[in-house]
Amino acid sequence: MNEASPSVRADFDKSIPAPVPVHHGAGLTDVKIAAREVSVFYGAKQALMSVSIDIGDRSVTAFIGPSGCGKSTFLRCLNRMNDFIDVARVTGSVMMNGENIYDASIDPVQLRARVGMVFQKPNPFPKTIYENVAYGPRIHGLASHKTDLDEIVVSSLEKAGLYKEVKDRLNDPGTGLSGGQQQRLCIARAIAVSPDVILMDEPCSALDPIATAKIEELMDELKQNYCIIIVTHSMQQAARVSQRTAFFHLGVLVEEGETSQIFTNPRETRTQDYITGRFG
Amino acid sequence: MTIAATPSDIQEARIRRADHAAALAKKRHAAEWRFKMYGVIAIAISLAFLVILFTTIVRNGYSAFMQSAIRLDVNFDASEIDPSGQRNSQDLWNANYPKLASNALYSVLGVNPDDRLARRKANELLSRGIDTQLRKIVLADPSIIGQTRQVWVLAHGNVDAFLKGAISRDTPEENRQLNNQQVAWIDKLTADGLLAKTFNSGLFTFGASSQPETAGLGVAIIGSFFMMFTVLALAVPLGVAAALYLQEFAPKNRFTDLIEVNINNLAAVPSIVFGLLGLAVFINFLGLPRSASLVGGLVLTLMTLPTIIIATRAAINAVPPSIREAALGVGASKMQTVFHHVLPLAMPGILTGTIIGLAKALGETAPLLMIGMVAFVVDYPRTPLESATALPVQIYMWATEAERGFVERTAGATIVLLAFMLIMNAVAIVLRQRFARKW
Repeated sequence: MNEASPSVRADFDKSIPAPVPVHHGAGLTDVKIAAREVSVFYGAKQALMSVSIDIGDRSVTAFIGPSGCGKSTFLRCLNRMNDFIDVARVTGSVMMNGENIYDASIDPVQLRARVGMVFQKPNPFPKTIYENVAYGPRIHGLASHKTDLDEIVVSSLEKAGLYKEVKDRLNDPGTGLSGGQQQRLCIARAIAVSPDVILMDEPCSALDPIATAKIEELMDELKQNYCIIIVTHSMQQAARVSQRTAFFHLGVLVEEGETSQIFTNPRETRTQDYITGRFG
Repeated sequence: MTIAATPSDIQEARIRRADHAAALAKKRHAAEWRFKMYGVIAIAISLAFLVILFTTIVRNGYSAFMQSAIRLDVNFDASEIDPSGQRNSQDLWNANYPKLASNALYSVLGVNPDDRLARRKANELLSRGIDTQLRKIVLADPSIIGQTRQVWVLAHGNVDAFLKGAISRDTPEENRQLNNQQVAWIDKLTADGLLAKTFNSGLFTFGASSQPETAGLGVAIIGSFFMMFTVLALAVPLGVAAALYLQEFAPKNRFTDLIEVNINNLAAVPSIVFGLLGLAVFINFLGLPRSASLVGGLVLTLMTLPTIIIATRAAINAVPPSIREAALGVGASKMQTVFHHVLPLAMPGILTGTIIGLAKALGETAPLLMIGMVAFVVDYPRTPLESATALPVQIYMWATEAERGFVERTAGATIVLLAFMLIMNAVAIVLRQRFARKW
């Protein structure tokens, strides 16, 4: 069911966007994350304006939008990484597995084991490949014996599509791999703690096209078992990998829906203008 | 369509520019050359002073590493050392060892034992430290009693000064410390190969002494070692923990800013002020023994703490935030991130800062003077609570003596101190290179 948008044509020069009725992921059957009225303030400046969205499990959701529109900020709200920025203040609620992750009773450290993150620039630990993947399971007590740990490491590397390339050199430093391999190592590291959700903040922007293709292939496999949210600058990438797409602009969630619909027949004019390249 | 001619004002400007070009270029080159020369001159002057400093020290001090000794066949006469035959330790300790050496010397020089004046003059060639020297030999190996052994006994400081040129045979006899007979004896012994300069291991093993030939850095080295150890054991954990807390865990408010400013100021406080602090707090208030290396160590700890805190903070800051984010993203707590990831990566910087701090503390003199480490200590301190002295303080004490033997020892001790500092700084540099990380 598509609701008609109000007949307000937002001007791109004005800094305050027009309010848009919320589309709570119409057509979503399996909601993993339900964000309601999430706003982020950096000091007095508001970076995210009351974002509400449902994100589905076992699929890839893409956040797109021009630079500075708040998509990375919103992504970091989902695993409470914004807690580490002193001046940042988050309001609203993010429901996951029936709980608000911003509730006082939730331990953010445990949360980040359930919601993993892959960053824009590959950042493996300056340790061996084995240690990189084993660190997470070790600190979360997922393996009592070395054999269990070995199993987890091997299976995570396999799921990340890296095992074949590194199985003879697990004790080599992780930083010695190529850029694409390092990013897959970071994905393996995130998978090793068996998260529910994997957040990816522009994971391919520092990689060459071949490595990018490998990672997009990987996302396609991973989506069968994980809820994946990817922030991307590339609309082509969003069109290739995601099932649902959300378009952000100036801190507002402008439109959200099935990827095919967003890219062929968007409801909002702003979305249309962004997709056709009129700005951003 | 014809192309219009270049307007004349542009053409004139071009000609003017060309005219000035050569002169301007000449001026520019001259200015650059002058600037380079200033730089070269500055470096040359600094290097010249450095060279002068090192040559002066080495020239004055290299002779301290050799000490004159006389080779004598000493008869370890049982009737002198062990009259009872029981190897009684009291007897062994109190035996008249100088007499044994004197007897050996008389026979070599052909001195008549009844000639008291000749005996006295001959004895003046021997060091008073022979007593200790021979006693050590007997106590180490009592089976030597009753046998005759060849021993290189220490010569008197005047003999050493003569051989090193400080006492000249050209000075008239009444102004010389050695009379002509003694000079003749010295020449004879030297010609026979019985008097020579041997390696002065005593420089490193002897304690304080009023005779230069029996004075050494042993006590100072041990005192400095105790103090360095105290600094290492106290300043490093305290400094690293304080820096970690300030950098990672403390809230960012005016109070912590104040602390940071004060730490930077402490690093600039004159060292003698720390000496006064040590005197007031550790010695007067806490009642710790004066001249103890523990007190010296505590004072140096306070001095080194700001250096280590500042170095640790810089090392922690140098760890890229991407590593922290990676650790936090995988579900590590703040403590786990800091101790499993940040601290190991900051270790090389911390190590370098520590070694540099230690090297600085090794050379500090003023605070140690204030807390009384200028004592005349003969025996090695067995614990940090016993009186001791430190390398730079020992240099200071020897520098106030006029005797030739002490002058060369002052420079010799300076060489030893500089060698220690060079080694420590070299180790710091090597460690820094080896552990230079590529993120």
